[in-house]
Amino acid sequence: MPEPPASSAPPADVLRGTLDLLVLKTLTLEPMHGWGISQRIQQFSRGVLDVNQGSLYPALQRLELKGWIAAEWRTTENNRRARYYRLTAQGRRALGTETESWRRYVSAVEWILSTT
Amino acid sequence: MSVVQGLARRLQLVFGGRAADRDLDDEIRLHLELETEKNIRAGMSAEEAWRQARIAFGGVDTTREAHRDGRGTRWLEDLASDVRFALRVLRRSPALTLAAVITLALGVGANTAIFSAVNAVILRPLPFSQPDRLVMLWESNPEFHWDQQDVAPANMLDWREQVHAFTDVAAYVDGEESVTLTGQGAPRLFTVVTVTGNFFSVLGVHPEMGRALRDADTWKTRTRVVVISDRMWREQFGADPDLVGHTITLNGKRAQVVGIMPASVRFPSENVDAWIPLWLDPASRADVSFRRAHWMRAIARIAPGVSLERANSQLQTTVRRLQLQYPETNRGMGAGMTPLHDFLVRDSRRPLETLLAAVTLLLLIACANVGNLLLVRAAGRERETAMRLALGAGRTRLIRQALTESVTLSLIGGAVGLAIGWWGTRVLIALQPPGMLPAGDVRMDWAVLGYVVAITTLSGILFGIAPAVWSGRRTPAEVLKEGGRCGSDVRRMQRWGHALVIGEVAIALLLMTGAGLLVRSFQELTQVNPGFDARGVLTVQMSASGPRDDSFDNVRMFYDELLRRVRALPGVTNAAATSELPLTSWGWTSQFSVAGRAPDQYGNEVAHREVTPGYFRTMRVPVIRGREFTEQDGAKAPPVVLINQTLARQFFAGQDPVGQRVAFDKSPDSASVWRTIVGVVGDERQTSLGTETKIQFMTPFAQEVRTEMALVIRTPGNPSTLAPAVRRIVSAVDPGLAIASVRTMADVRSASLARQRFLMTMLLVFAAVGVVLAVVGVYGVMAQYARGRSREMGIRLALGAQREQVRWMVVRRGMWLVGAGLAAGIVAALAATRFMQVFLFDVAPVDPVTFVAVPLLLLLTAVAATWLPARRASRADPAATLREE
Repeated sequence: MPEPPASSAPPADVLRGTLDLLVLKTLTLEPMHGWGISQRIQQFSRGVLDVNQGSLYPALQRLELKGWIAAEWRTTENNRRARYYRLTAQGRRALGTETESWRRYVSAVEWILSTT
Repeated sequence: MSVVQGLARRLQLVFGGRAADRDLDDEIRLHLELETEKNIRAGMSAEEAWRQARIAFGGVDTTREAHRDGRGTRWLEDLASDVRFALRVLRRSPALTLAAVITLALGVGANTAIFSAVNAVILRPLPFSQPDRLVMLWESNPEFHWDQQDVAPANMLDWREQVHAFTDVAAYVDGEESVTLTGQGAPRLFTVVTVTGNFFSVLGVHPEMGRALRDADTWKTRTRVVVISDRMWREQFGADPDLVGHTITLNGKRAQVVGIMPASVRFPSENVDAWIPLWLDPASRADVSFRRAHWMRAIARIAPGVSLERANSQLQTTVRRLQLQYPETNRGMGAGMTPLHDFLVRDSRRPLETLLAAVTLLLLIACANVGNLLLVRAAGRERETAMRLALGAGRTRLIRQALTESVTLSLIGGAVGLAIGWWGTRVLIALQPPGMLPAGDVRMDWAVLGYVVAITTLSGILFGIAPAVWSGRRTPAEVLKEGGRCGSDVRRMQRWGHALVIGEVAIALLLMTGAGLLVRSFQELTQVNPGFDARGVLTVQMSASGPRDDSFDNVRMFYDELLRRVRALPGVTNAAATSELPLTSWGWTSQFSVAGRAPDQYGNEVAHREVTPGYFRTMRVPVIRGREFTEQDGAKAPPVVLINQTLARQFFAGQDPVGQRVAFDKSPDSASVWRTIVGVVGDERQTSLGTETKIQFMTPFAQEVRTEMALVIRTPGNPSTLAPAVRRIVSAVDPGLAIASVRTMADVRSASLARQRFLMTMLLVFAAVGVVLAVVGVYGVMAQYARGRSREMGIRLALGAQREQVRWMVVRRGMWLVGAGLAAGIVAALAATRFMQVFLFDVAPVDPVTFVAVPLLLLLTAVAATWLPARRASRADPAATLREE
């Protein structure tokens, strides 16, 4: 994964609709709880993207309703009860198509910006 | 993701709403704790770490809300709060709620009762195995004007053997028979139906005890057998578990009870008590009378996979073959089939459909009325509505809430209506003409309940739509500015109300016209001269059956003795017996020929009746020519016959029938009996007041003995007081004989009108309720109109207008509305009443009397309803009205 350039600009809000994609991507590594997901996204993006933590939960619910992720209660290493989310087979497939359409979107915007 | 999966997940969330809330709270708490710990590790103070964690998370409540919305349960929570709100509103105005609930309950109740009947008679399948494979077979003959007639047993047996599309064909004798059970306490009459042995196997029903009849039972064997009904088993034999195998005595003959049918088997009629096999003599199959006389109903089961059309075409092939093979009896004799269920309901379908249409219209009127009430209330609440809009309520949300209110109201009305309907069903069964509704089957079931819920909900939406749309359309600024004064929007609302009134007046007129036509028709029917004098006559129907019916002499002696004793009773001026009472049946029919006429000059479909001397005197039927029968016309005297006036007119025009000779055969041979006409008597209506008199022969009872006869006894006093004495005489002459019925002739006449009276009464009741509701509706709208105009009227009065002028203003408005409703109603009635043609006797569907009287009556009632608000408006003190505003 190419690393985003470190920047001194204030972190950008996650674009609408891309949060789902980021959550799915994050969950490809391992099952995680909500806070973990938010931390991981911030880490990956080197602080460029700031996930609005409150909006993470409705997004998780949305993905769960679609059947792309599944949730279960487990205990953390510090022995706390947490709701862990994991990617389903359906979610894995969805990630592929979503990533594809995101790339198309980005390159289209990029092309427009560079030509005009 | 499949739709089903998604739905399942969502449902899980809906029903686990609380648990989902708790889970989310746990998740958020953990999140904040972990974030706080992270902040502390980064060197913040505990307090600052917690604060920063909260900031990073954003609004906890917003997240919760978003989460709840995401569950898709929002609508359900809204619905619950809407219903709670609706109930609160309804409680706040109990008078209006009560009026609406009563109105709706009347409409729904009437629908429940009628639909229960429709469901039992028309919709519910017959209680047989694969009932849609059963058809009724019938014969038809254009020469006799026969359609869907009884079949001749020989033809039925041929179809059974030759039409391979039929798995089997069963038959039963058309017409129930009364048999006397003796040897078990007091003699008692039971209704039996004579059937072929395969009757139960073709229907596919099984006995609850013992066996059903078998194919072999059709034919004469050593022992007679009988299958009895559950009812007879319980009522007569105390549900004796050992009854099967025992022998009972029916009409003096011993028969073995081989089986008991469950209570669900009540075929071919509700009151059948037992089924006895035909007991045919195999030798009689070749007999010509077996193919000439038509007295059976035949039911076929169509073979699996065979279409009705193919079965019918096979039947037609066989019918044509039989026509060629037996020209003497089968020439012109066609046959056909009708699905059994359709055939059985052919007389009930139309009346029930008419009643269902009537109650549907009634419900529409009820909806219009309730809609009006809600509209008025919506106007009264418009400030509340405006406030909600101003505070940010969505318009669709407001409409939804208004609809929730109306549907809640209609469900309450529907629940009360269901109770009324349950009671109404009992009333319906009590009032019904005999045999129209299967009393045991008219009951609440899921179909009825589903129907009621459906019409109730629909009604709620229907009457709720006008106020809902109206309240959602207002702009808050407008309303609040007006300060509750009546503005242009209230006018618009009034237009809604006016449209509703026009509609309900039109429907009320339609209902009333239908009822009016039936009343007129009933009047015409009761004016018909039946041809006899029913006043002061007692009738006793009985059967001199038993061992005695083996000997004509015994039967003759029995009735002679009976009549002799009855005539000797004090108060009896005359008594006689007849095989058929007028207004009940025309008896058996045949062809006939007149001596000395060409062979093709025979007559068809002549009715026959056997009477004792004195019958015509007793019934006060005029003897127009010749003489009545006397005691001299005995068994050994020359055969004589009387004819009715219609027969004289149709076959002896311009000649004197008296002295001519007739035979009851199409082509008389050496075996034919020639009878001399000795007189012409007046026409009597044979089957009902509304049916034209059929040509008829009367034969002396002594020369053609029948076991089932009816006594007619004339007295100057009240005939029913004679009943106990007559019963005593019957049991004195024969203690082993049960009487079928003792009725006055007036009751017989009244019973013959039962169907018409039933339909008329029901329609009249529904129409009356409809008219009352419509008039209440007119009153309500006019009162609202007058109130809305009170300021204007105050000004007019203050400026010197006369009170009459103001009054007239309101009345004119009311008459305009009612007039528009009546006009619409007349147009609808003109189009609709022709469907009632079949119910009408001597009255055209566009009967001028009805079409003038009904609108006039409605107009007067409705104008009276506008008079009240008009008077109140004109009485108002102008100063007070103006100050009030």
